Amino acid sequence: MAFNILLVDDSVTVRAVISKALHLAGVDINLLYQAGNGQEALEILEAEWIDLVLCDISMPIMDGETMVARMVDNGMIRTVPVVIVSSAGSEPRIQRLKDMGVRDYIQKPFTPERIREVVDNVTGVASHA
Amino acid sequence: MREQILAAVSTTFLEVVEQLTFMFGEPVHKSTLLDADGDYVLAQISFTGDVAGTLSLAVPGECVPEIAANILGLEPEEIEADAMAPDSLGELLNVICGHVIMAIAGKGADFRLGSPWVVEATPEFLAARVDDPDWLGFMLEENAVLLGLVTE
Repeated sequence: MAFNILLVDDSVTVRAVISKALHLAGVDINLLYQAGNGQEALEILEAEWIDLVLCDISMPIMDGETMVARMVDNGMIRTVPVVIVSSAGSEPRIQRLKDMGVRDYIQKPFTPERIREVVDNVTGVASHA
Repeated sequence: MREQILAAVSTTFLEVVEQLTFMFGEPVHKSTLLDADGDYVLAQISFTGDVAGTLSLAVPGECVPEIAANILGLEPEEIEADAMAPDSLGELLNVICGHVIMAIAGKGADFRLGSPWVVEATPEFLAARVDDPDWLGFMLEENAVLLGLVTE
């Protein structure tokens, strides 16, 4: 199964690194969308079919925590899996986000293997090596 | 106590830099920086929460494309110097900061990171850091770099 994946991070470097890691991990990608903040991500989520969101926490305009809160409000968090990819992953905050419906957390720096492990767990589909 | 914190910061910095950029480093006396030639770039990030302050990283300007290239898995010539290189340096500091805060305050600390910003560092600024107890010196490969942690 090929996934439509949305990367949400204000750093073009991080979006490039995650994109590369997804390919190295053998994750089957149909379309890869990118957003620089939570607001842009919500607009893409309203317009496109997304199978998985990989999202940073600290971003200008709208941070990841606010974006997840909006997805709770509109019910999208129940149908679109969100995984946090961040270096600001303090345990209290990660627990708050998981309580809101976030599926998993990837701490930066990460390996392609860690990306694959989480994608497999969240989507329930084993990626191709 | 302050020495213990700085020791944790030093160890964390070297570990994260190695993981992200595959560049190896070691602590050095900050006066090494006074012998360094060329322009320096200063990346800074602020944080709030259980622990608040600013983390700063000063690196030689010519080393920034190499850092970006290593993070992205590209050749330095492939890096867009004006756009990608500062963004990569900011992201490196972002990751370092998250790990430094957890190293000194524990994984249970609740904190928020701001957005990193990157500017040119003046020679006067760098010279003033040599005697500043909040700053540490490192030799990263062939590059003398400075890391400063100021907490409120």
